Amino acid sequence: MTTMVIQLLITGIAYGLIYSLVGIEYTLVWNSSGLLNFSHDRLITLGAYIFGGSMILSLNLNYPVAIIVTLAIMGCVGALLAMGVFNRLRSMRSNIFAIIGTVVLSKIIAEFIRLFWGSGNMRVPGWLSGTVRIGNFAITVANIVITVVAIVLVIVLQLFFKFTKSGKAIRCVQQNKKASALMGINVNRSICITTGISTIICAVVGLLVIPLVNISATMAITIGLKGFCAGVIGGFGYIPGAIVGGIFIGIIENLATLVIPAVYKDAVSFIFLIVFLVVKPTGFLGKRA
Amino acid sequence: MKMKNNMKRLVISLVIAIVVALLPIAVNNDYWTVVFVRVMLNIIVALGLNFITGLIGQMNLGMAGIYALGAYSSALLVQYTGCSPWLGLVGALVMGLIIGLVLGYPSLRLKGVYLSLTTIGFTQIVTLFLNNMTGFTGGSQGVKEIPNYNLFGFPINSYLRSYYLYAIFAVIAFFIAQRIIKSKWGRLFRSLRDNVDAVEMTGVNIASAKIKAFTISAIFGCIAGALYAHFYGYINPSNYTLDMSMNYVLMLLVGGLGSAPGAIVGACVVTILPEPLRGLGDYYLIVFYGIIFIGILLFPNGWIDAFSRGGRFLYQKVTGKKLAAQETADTNKTEGGGRKP
Repeated sequence: MTTMVIQLLITGIAYGLIYSLVGIEYTLVWNSSGLLNFSHDRLITLGAYIFGGSMILSLNLNYPVAIIVTLAIMGCVGALLAMGVFNRLRSMRSNIFAIIGTVVLSKIIAEFIRLFWGSGNMRVPGWLSGTVRIGNFAITVANIVITVVAIVLVIVLQLFFKFTKSGKAIRCVQQNKKASALMGINVNRSICITTGISTIICAVVGLLVIPLVNISATMAITIGLKGFCAGVIGGFGYIPGAIVGGIFIGIIENLATLVIPAVYKDAVSFIFLIVFLVVKPTGFLGKRA
Repeated sequence: MKMKNNMKRLVISLVIAIVVALLPIAVNNDYWTVVFVRVMLNIIVALGLNFITGLIGQMNLGMAGIYALGAYSSALLVQYTGCSPWLGLVGALVMGLIIGLVLGYPSLRLKGVYLSLTTIGFTQIVTLFLNNMTGFTGGSQGVKEIPNYNLFGFPINSYLRSYYLYAIFAVIAFFIAQRIIKSKWGRLFRSLRDNVDAVEMTGVNIASAKIKAFTISAIFGCIAGALYAHFYGYINPSNYTLDMSMNYVLMLLVGGLGSAPGAIVGACVVTILPEPLRGLGDYYLIVFYGIIFIGILLFPNGWIDAFSRGGRFLYQKVTGKKLAAQETADTNKTEGGGRKP
């Protein structure tokens, strides 16, 4: 029993870190441009397809090169999206148009994926496969890599925001756009950089979940949704909140399989979302009233 | 003036009534009759969605889940108790009430975008449960052999008969929606979209108003779902996706947010337009969404607004003078609108 619980905890933390990354990724866009990016799950899918479909399966690149190229492409995609779409959407008077804009964008990306790579499923053989045995516990390589990459990524992001000039500029823009524009910060460029970072995180999530799910058009829908739940549970629009909320959801939903049938696992995070909205709308770490 | 307006309205309604009555007979094609039935169902859903998304401006992306629950609650009620499908309609109505309160209370009590998050999640969870509660809902096999409606011994068992029945339902839905929009509630909903703070200052409970609007939209959605179930006679959980919810919002965008006739126009356009576009094969969806997307980016105030603006621009060019309506629009723009920094 204890072995099983610990095993579930390990899986839960790995999954939770994925949700945390998703939470961070959309919180960045939300904070900088005030848009809820509903196309983020398709961007995750796009990252996975670029890596798996093009870089590995058709171009046969080795892993490091493929990863770097994928991340570079996705970063450019993000910056272009910010320039062409998000900057336009955020200056609209009705937020309905902004939300539906990102939803339609997600649909267009999905159609593009279907036309470009076809609608079948894909697998990347040998990518993050295998298990490591530590004492009684079998831990998959994928879970270890997820944990390490997520922690490194979070630390790097924090360092970037604290110590670099553009990171500081991004934080200024998140706090007050008018004041930062008056201080000589290029708000639009800062939003481009933020969206680029956010898209790169999407791609990283896409790469990390390939061993857990097949590459398919619907691979990221539940992950994207749980990322939203993680944000609300931890504190909406607050990056440490997204991390805490993600890990919380990951652990809880994996432990819940002890009590409820495993098929209903996906409902757990949603139920917690509703409970938190009723009981503690600010989330674990939320500061707003 | 009032006489003239009434006459004009009467003539327009008569023309629409004649077109609606003769259309399926003139086309005389089962495929298109089904498309027209879907138009009627979508009109009902769009009219409902108009309350929360069009009038109040809170995004509801869960209409597919609401529709699914309406369809299943009516179908299952009829299947398990053997009662008349009309009672199933009551079941759907109650289901709409429950959804409105249970989902509306947590997400609308707070200011922000929570409704779009909870409604998306809601749709996912609804399909998850419908797929997995195999004993109760039939799982992915769906519910089969749902009986048709029966109007005082007159069975509604052909496409044509269903079309006329559902057209009547759509007309009733339109009049109810129009009544609500023109009533105290409708004005309250619209004021919430324009300036929440001012409404709150006057002592109105804005949360309860929003929940009311969401409940009405859920009831409309559930009723349409029940009608759908008893029309096709077979439902399964695979259709109720985010794409379906999105299509309903697109209907409002095309027709113009906040107006009942606009919702009807949008429902017709979004349901019928893809049919001729099917000739494009694989590329038809990306073309369709591409058109909509460019429309959103270029006409941020809606398509109807863009067209009327274009009309006004032409009028100005031709006659060289401004319309009264445009002057007020200009002053509004300088007060409230403009680009955010």
